[in-house]
Amino acid sequence: MSAANISRPLPRPNAYMDTTPFWRATSEGRLLIQYCVDSGEPQFFPRPISLVTGRRNLEWREASGKGTVYSFTNTLNAWPGHEARVPYLCALVDLEEGVRILCNLYQVKPEDVRIGMAVKLYWERLTDELAYPAFVPA
Amino acid sequence: MSTNKRKDIAIIGYGETPVVLRGGRSSYELAAQVMEQILVQTGIDKREIDGLAISETMSETGNPFWGVYMCEMLGLSPSWMQLNGLGGASSIGGIARAAAAIRDGMCETVLVLASDAQSSGKTPEQGAQRHEFMYPVGLKGPVGAFGLLSERYRHQYGLDERALAKLAVTQRNHALMNPNGCEKLRKPLTEEDYLSSKYVSTPIRVLDSVMVCDGANGVLVTSTENARRLGARKMIHPIGYGEISNFNGAARQPDITVSGFSLAGPKALRQAGMRPPDVRMIMPYDDFLIALIITLEDIGFCEKGKGAQFVLDTDLSYRGTLPLNTSGGQISAGQPGLAGGGLNLVEGVRQMFEEAGERQVSDPRNCMVTGIGVIPYGRNWGVSNVMILEQP
Repeated sequence: MSAANISRPLPRPNAYMDTTPFWRATSEGRLLIQYCVDSGEPQFFPRPISLVTGRRNLEWREASGKGTVYSFTNTLNAWPGHEARVPYLCALVDLEEGVRILCNLYQVKPEDVRIGMAVKLYWERLTDELAYPAFVPA
Repeated sequence: MSTNKRKDIAIIGYGETPVVLRGGRSSYELAAQVMEQILVQTGIDKREIDGLAISETMSETGNPFWGVYMCEMLGLSPSWMQLNGLGGASSIGGIARAAAAIRDGMCETVLVLASDAQSSGKTPEQGAQRHEFMYPVGLKGPVGAFGLLSERYRHQYGLDERALAKLAVTQRNHALMNPNGCEKLRKPLTEEDYLSSKYVSTPIRVLDSVMVCDGANGVLVTSTENARRLGARKMIHPIGYGEISNFNGAARQPDITVSGFSLAGPKALRQAGMRPPDVRMIMPYDDFLIALIITLEDIGFCEKGKGAQFVLDTDLSYRGTLPLNTSGGQISAGQPGLAGGGLNLVEGVRQMFEEAGERQVSDPRNCMVTGIGVIPYGRNWGVSNVMILEQP
């Protein structure tokens, strides 16, 4: 159930803020999340400011890639550009660092997914430069 | 119970176009139809309108001057103009803002207008984080987001599909009596039809959600004092309002089954000096059936997680103890794009003016109307608002 070689919308980095460090790390197989330096709180998706303090004192740190399924949906009717992937699983995964990420789940059948199940990071290589974070059962 | 209920603001007229699928008429033309209806209905001279609160639109939103263009199109020169980008929360949000502007002397008589030919146009790009953190995953827009929400809700509380089926059928039965409802949806529906409806993004089915159409609607708002001067034939009053945008916006891992209605609902009720059992009828924003269950719970009609039981135990038909979306709601009358937030509002006003024909609710002494807007990243919805309307 890998999406390799199936056409789909590619991420367009650096559109709403400087996400260069995030995407550079993905190509090295590392998932980065933002931290507010002053409060120590993580946040995801990346924002141009700390959601806690309203200051721009932010840094990137690598996540462990361990998490649990918060919720999921089996997509039977594709979002435009994903028609060739149907059916596919979308999920909200809670990372152990304390943030929630929207992602795909692979290597599991829809009827076997359970809320709360442990999952680990899995990289989908989309192009030579771009990899996208997904999750598989731990 | 402490209350700061006021009846100094009045809604004195309403208008609505039929909801049509790909009608091919612009948002401007649809809006013109609504304004003409309101002027004819109230007998008020167009020059009395000195304020415009207008909802954002999918079909014309590429034009950053949409509101002022609308003034030009309709021949209005308002001293106060407000463009509301709260999605389906924009119409009652527009009434609340109009009330504040009237109280502050910025204008006297406000047309609160929503018009969208979304099904005849192209949906604009919302941009921001979507190209990096949403589109590559392929979550199917609002349907996918409500799939995630429903699955989580089911995990925490269980999800009795009989309640969803009952809501689908109740609203459809109402739509069958609504000549303005979308023609394509005006056919009977059974609970079995709902329960055998195909999944789109599990556990969301085709019949859980809306069909995007074209249409427009609006109401006329002024001070009660000015309404009397104008000789308004009928009036009702907004007596309670609550609103929250980007609910739980800074929470890292919020409980997504709890919505902004948990704040906006109690606030509106407190202002009105009412409790949920005092509500005669409710016109809640319905983009998905499960949103109705969560809305009822979070406003306080029942305990959290007991919404399905409440639906099963309550007669929600126009003859019932808590009539709900008596024109069919957006799910069965069609969603006129971002004007959808005005659909259930206008039905509430129509019921309170006792002009709802064969679906008229008896003793329409008050009505609660709600709005929902915007699907954020990984949560339920961005904007929740609640307005309570009451007779003089």
